[in-house]
Amino acid sequence: MRHFPLLPLVTCSWFYYLTPDPFPFLSKLQTLQLQPPSPMASQSHPYLNGDSNTHIPKKPKLSSLSSSFITEAEIQSEFSHHDSTIARINNGSFGCCPSSISNSQQHLQLQFLSQPDHFYFSHLKPGILRSRTLLQSLINAQHLDEISIVDNATTAAAIVLQNIAWSFAEGKFNQGDVAIMLHYAYGAVKKSIEAYLTRAGGHVIEVHLPFPVNSNEEIVFEFRKALEKGKENGRKVRLAVIDHITSMPTVVIPVKELVRICREEGVDQVFVDATHGIGCTDVDMQDIGADFYTSNLHKWFFCPPSIAFLYCRKSSQCLDLHHPVVTHEYGNGLAVESAWIGARDYSAQLVVPKVFEFVDRFEGGIEGIKKRNHENVVKMGQMLAKVWGTNLGCPPEMCASMIMVGLPACLGISSDLDTLKLRTHLRDKFGVEVPIYYRAPKDGEVDLVTGYARISYQVYNKVDDYHKFRDAINELVGDGFTCTLLRG
Amino acid sequence: MGEKEELRNGDYVAKKPKLLKLSISDPEYLLASEFSHHEPGTARINNGSFGCCPESIIAAQRTWQLRFLKQPDHFYFSTLRPNLSKSRAVVKTLINASDLDEVSLVDNATTAAAIVLQQVGRRFSQINDTVVMFHCAFPAIKKSIQAYVTRAGASVIEVRLPFPVNSDSEIIAEFRKGLSKAKSNGGKVRLAIIDHITSMPSVLVPVRELVEICREQGVDQVFVDAAHAIGSVPIDVQEIGADFYVSNLYKWFFAPPSVAFLYCRKSNSSSSTMHHPVVSHEYGNGLPIESSWIGTRDYSPQLVIPTIIEFVNRFEGGIEGIMARNHEQVVKMGKMLAESWGTSLGSPPEMCASMIMVALPSKLCVTSDDDAFSLRSHLREKYKVEVPIYYRPPNEDDGENEPRHKDGLITGYTRISHQIYNKVEDYYKFRDAINQIVENQQVCKMLSTK
Repeated sequence: MRHFPLLPLVTCSWFYYLTPDPFPFLSKLQTLQLQPPSPMASQSHPYLNGDSNTHIPKKPKLSSLSSSFITEAEIQSEFSHHDSTIARINNGSFGCCPSSISNSQQHLQLQFLSQPDHFYFSHLKPGILRSRTLLQSLINAQHLDEISIVDNATTAAAIVLQNIAWSFAEGKFNQGDVAIMLHYAYGAVKKSIEAYLTRAGGHVIEVHLPFPVNSNEEIVFEFRKALEKGKENGRKVRLAVIDHITSMPTVVIPVKELVRICREEGVDQVFVDATHGIGCTDVDMQDIGADFYTSNLHKWFFCPPSIAFLYCRKSSQCLDLHHPVVTHEYGNGLAVESAWIGARDYSAQLVVPKVFEFVDRFEGGIEGIKKRNHENVVKMGQMLAKVWGTNLGCPPEMCASMIMVGLPACLGISSDLDTLKLRTHLRDKFGVEVPIYYRAPKDGEVDLVTGYARISYQVYNKVDDYHKFRDAINELVGDGFTCTLLRG
Repeated sequence: MGEKEELRNGDYVAKKPKLLKLSISDPEYLLASEFSHHEPGTARINNGSFGCCPESIIAAQRTWQLRFLKQPDHFYFSTLRPNLSKSRAVVKTLINASDLDEVSLVDNATTAAAIVLQQVGRRFSQINDTVVMFHCAFPAIKKSIQAYVTRAGASVIEVRLPFPVNSDSEIIAEFRKGLSKAKSNGGKVRLAIIDHITSMPSVLVPVRELVEICREQGVDQVFVDAAHAIGSVPIDVQEIGADFYVSNLYKWFFAPPSVAFLYCRKSNSSSSTMHHPVVSHEYGNGLPIESSWIGTRDYSPQLVIPTIIEFVNRFEGGIEGIMARNHEQVVKMGKMLAESWGTSLGSPPEMCASMIMVALPSKLCVTSDDDAFSLRSHLREKYKVEVPIYYRPPNEDDGENEPRHKDGLITGYTRISHQIYNKVEDYYKFRDAINQIVENQQVCKMLSTK
C-alpha cells in the first residue's frame, strides 16, 4: 500500500468471525488445506485425571455449540500434518499449529488477496484490535494500550532495547550504566543486548545460575549477588532482563520475586522475556509486576508462525517505545505502530480469536492444557531418568511443559558441537526430535552427567514418543556409542 | 502432458510435464486460471498498492508453509537457509548485482528504509549533516527520517518533484537546486533518497542521472527507494550506481505478501555495518545472513522466488514481455480516459512504467486529501472500482503553468495501474463511473461517508 491519508479507526463488531462470510466465493479456492478433524462420538478424554479443581478460564466461552470436549482422535486429526515418522518432543522450539487454525489463516490470506485495498481499509485494524483485546484479558493487563502485537519475542527485545540505546545516545543514561541478564538468556536476546546496549556504552552483568538447580532460593541468591555487583561504584542499574522460563537449560524462574527485588534495589526497568510463557505457565501482569513482558503465541498457544505480544506497563517511566520498522503510524503509540509495519501478511495476528475457540474445546481450556502438559512432562521425564539412571535438571515444581533430563554419561557429550551432532543423529537415525544441552563440568566435578535432553509435552504427544526416545538412547548405550564417533 | 523418451536400452523415462504457455494478451484466461481469487465484479486498477499473487505461487507458498509445520526443526536445520540462498541468487541475476553478498531479503521497502536509515543515523557527526529526499517520498519514508535522522540531529531538505511533469530535465533541475540548498549552510549531505518510481503522484524518475549528480556533488551515500521497480522497469544496479537499492517483490513481481530485496553495494564501506533492527543469533554475520533469520516466522514468501521465475517464463518474452505489455496498455488506457474526461496525463508516456497519472475533471472539486479519500471510497463502494486518487494542491510557483481543464484548475489525479489480469472493461467501468458522477453534478464533499 503506497498512499493514503490518516485513517479513521473503525471499531468493528466483536463478532467478526460470527458474521456471514463476506467472501463466500473463496471457499471453493482453498487448495492444499490441512485435513479438518472429523467429528467423532464423544469419548472419555484420555488425559482426565479425575481432578475436580480444574481452573475455569475467566473469559466466557466463544462457542458452546457442544458440551463435549475435543476427543483424542480429533486432537490427532488436528495434528495429522505432523511427520508421523518423528517422535516430536520439541514443542519448545517451534511450537505447533492445529489444522483448523491453519485453515482459518489461509482463509484470511485469501481474503486479503481477493481485494487487498478493501481488506486494508475495513478489516485489518478491527481484526488486530480484536486480537489485542482478547490477549489483554488473557494476561490480565489493565489497559488495552499496554498490548502490542509483534512477530516474536526477538522483535519485542529489539523494541525494548532500541529504546535503551536511545537513552544512552541522548544522554538520559550515563556511559557504564548497567543491565543485568541471566547467563542462560536466549542467544538472540544476548546479541540484541550487545547490539543495542553494549554498543551504546552500557555495561552488562550476567547472573550465573546453577544447573542442575534445586530451589528458587538458589536463583534468588545469585540474582541478588549480580544486582549488588551492578550497583558497585554508584552505577545505576537501568534494566534487568529476566527470563520467565529459560530456554536452554530450561527452568521456571521465580520472576515475581525477582521483579520485587528489582524494585527494592532501585532497578529502573524490568523486562521479562517469557518466550515460553503463554500456554506454559501462569501469566498475570498485575501479579508479576514487570515493566515489559513478551511471550510468543506460536510456541504454546497454537498460533501459526509467527506472533507474540509485548506488554508495556502504562505506569512505566518509559512511554516512548517505537517499532524499529517505521511507517506513517510513527508516534501513535507502540500498539498502533506495530499494527502496521508496511504491507505484509498479518494473518497470524488476525487468527487469534479462532485460537481462543480452539483452546476452549479442551477441558479446562488453556489452564487444563497447561496442567496436563506439566503433569505428563514430569512423568515422562522421571520415567526416562529412571531408565537411564540419571537425574532431572530441576525439581518438578520448577518446570512447566518442558523438563531437562540427564543423558547417560557414557555417551561422552563434551561440547556444544557434540549436542548438535547427537541431535542430528537422533533425528536422522532414530526419528526423534529433541534438543540436547551440554552442561560443562565445573572444577572438581567428576563422572558427571554432561548432557541433558529438553523434552516437551504438548497435546499431540503420546507416551510412545518418549518410549521411542528412551529406546533410542538405550540402543546407543548398548552399542557403546560415544559422541567421539560423530566427530571428524 | 508427460512425454516418454525411449533410451537406447529400451527403458522409458517420463519427461517433466511441460507447463502450459500463458498468454499476456488474454486476461480472461488469466483471471479464470491464476486470479480467480480476485473479487469478481471489482475493476481492480490499483496493482501499485498491494500487488497481486497468482494461484500457482499461492500453492507453492502453501507447500513451503506445510513443510515447516510438518517438521519445523528439520526445516530450520536443513531446508531454510539453502533455499533462501537460492532465492537471493535469483534476485542477484535479475538485478545484475555483482556479488551475492550484496543481496538481502527483507519484508518490504519500509523495513529496508529502517535498516539504511539506522546505519546512516549512526554516522551523523556534525550539526550540519543533511539528508535530501523528494517532497513526495512515501509517507513511511518521511516518518523513518523523522525517527532516525531528525532525532539524531541531522536536517532534511525536500526536493520538489514537478508535477505534472514534462521531461526528465525538469526533475534533474529541481534535484540540482535541492542539493545546492543542502550544501549551502556548509553541511555535508550524508544521504540522498531517490525514488525510482514515485508513489503519489507516480512518475518514473531518471535515477541514473540523479545518482551521477550525487557523486559529482560529494553526497556520502545514495539510497534508491524503488518499491515499484521490479517487474515494472528493467533494473541494473551496477548501471544505476546507488549504494542502496530496494524493491518490493509483491507489487509487480507476483510474490505473496511480503518480500522485498535490499541491495547494498559491496564497495560501499558501510555495507558491513548494516544490521537488521531485529537482532538474532546471526548478528554480525552480514546483513543477508542476519535477515535470513530474525526469529521464528513464516519465511515462505522469500522461498517462492524461484517458482515466480518459472511463472513469468510461461509468458511470451518472460518478465520483459509482461513489462512491455503493461506499459503499452496503461498508456493506452490513460489516454482513453483523458480523452473521455477532456483532461490530460500527468506525465509523458516515457516517464511512466505500469502506472500512469490521469487528471480528473475539475468539476469533481478535489480540494484536499480527505476529498481524494472520499472519492476513492465512493468509487469502491458504489461503482466497485478500486483506484487511488491524488490531491494536487495548487502551486503558486507554477503560475500560468498550473494544469488546467476546460472547466478550471486541475487538482485531482488518479493513478491507474495495468497488470496481466486487467481487461479493457476495468477502465471503461472507471471512465463511466467518473462521467456519471460529473453528470450527477456531485463533488467530492458530497461523497463523504462520514
